[in-house]
Amino acid sequence: MIDSGYAIGVIAAMGLVTFSLRALPFVAAQWLQKHPFVQRLGQFLPLAIMTLLMVHSVVGSATENPSGPWAELGAVALVVVLQWRSKNALLSILLGTGVYVLLRNFNVL
Amino acid sequence: MTSHSPAPHPAPLSALMLTVPVAMGYIPLGTVFGFLFVQAGGDWWVAVLASLVVFAGAAQYMMIPMLAAGMSVGTIALATLIVNLRHVFYGLSLLHKLPQGRWFRAYLVFGLTDETYSVLTTLPDSTPRSQMVLVALLNQGWWVLGTTIGAVIGSQAQVNLAGLDFVLAALFAVLTVEQWRIKKSPAPLWIALAAYALAYPLAAKHALVISIGLSIAASLLWQVKASASTTEAKQ
Repeated sequence: MIDSGYAIGVIAAMGLVTFSLRALPFVAAQWLQKHPFVQRLGQFLPLAIMTLLMVHSVVGSATENPSGPWAELGAVALVVVLQWRSKNALLSILLGTGVYVLLRNFNVL
Repeated sequence: MTSHSPAPHPAPLSALMLTVPVAMGYIPLGTVFGFLFVQAGGDWWVAVLASLVVFAGAAQYMMIPMLAAGMSVGTIALATLIVNLRHVFYGLSLLHKLPQGRWFRAYLVFGLTDETYSVLTTLPDSTPRSQMVLVALLNQGWWVLGTTIGAVIGSQAQVNLAGLDFVLAALFAVLTVEQWRIKKSPAPLWIALAAYALAYPLAAKHALVISIGLSIAASLLWQVKASASTTEAKQ
């Protein structure tokens, strides 16, 4: 069970962090635009961080799966190719997850 | 206002039409969130509360295993900061578009998800603020609706399928592809992969935080090199 009081505390903290991040450019626009390194980070960090989050969660799934990383690698490759060609996030996420769940539960590999 | 403007007095209907593609994604993905949240042992109304208060898909998917593991509020807040950092750079390109009026602005800023951002950036500058806010409200409405549906379904029966949490990896993969599509340089991806390959053997548990630190350090070096080469190009 997830304790609801604890979950509400987490939700409040997450809401505050998310809102602050979304509000920062409107509050500190002048400061952000004045510094070229902020613009550079803006071009660099979103792709770098997303790549890391993707790799980290794939590695996380692979370490939980006793039968190796091939199901994870295959499923994530499927998501990447689908998204690149279709630009349909829903299709890519549901198909990729669906294939992964099949591989994990029915010993196809 | 120019004569070829599609809608001089945009009806709520046109805002609804603008959010239809978002609804197609938000309702099912919200359903998956609500379902997984309840399956992990959460109360259905807490899942709905998360979609009302946080309203950030990747962060909400990420919170489920962290809540189930009973991690500290600070750890989950830090992870949220990392996952949502990209939002800092969204607002900058919307600065001149944002409507006047405290509450209109505050709600639009709150609701600035990836999808709402991409709808808003396609609207002409003459779009009335009421329509912008309506787009954001409808988008959150779809997300909350999906969450509620999923949470109700999830509380009916326990499903024992391994690997459902791969949905988070898939979502990150989709966001990576979309960041890659608008990239100015492929360097961030390669640097990130190299940083992770370096960090993982050192400390597998903290590989994410270490490799983010390494990537930021590398980006600052990359920036020095890049700005040096632009000055050379100018000369």
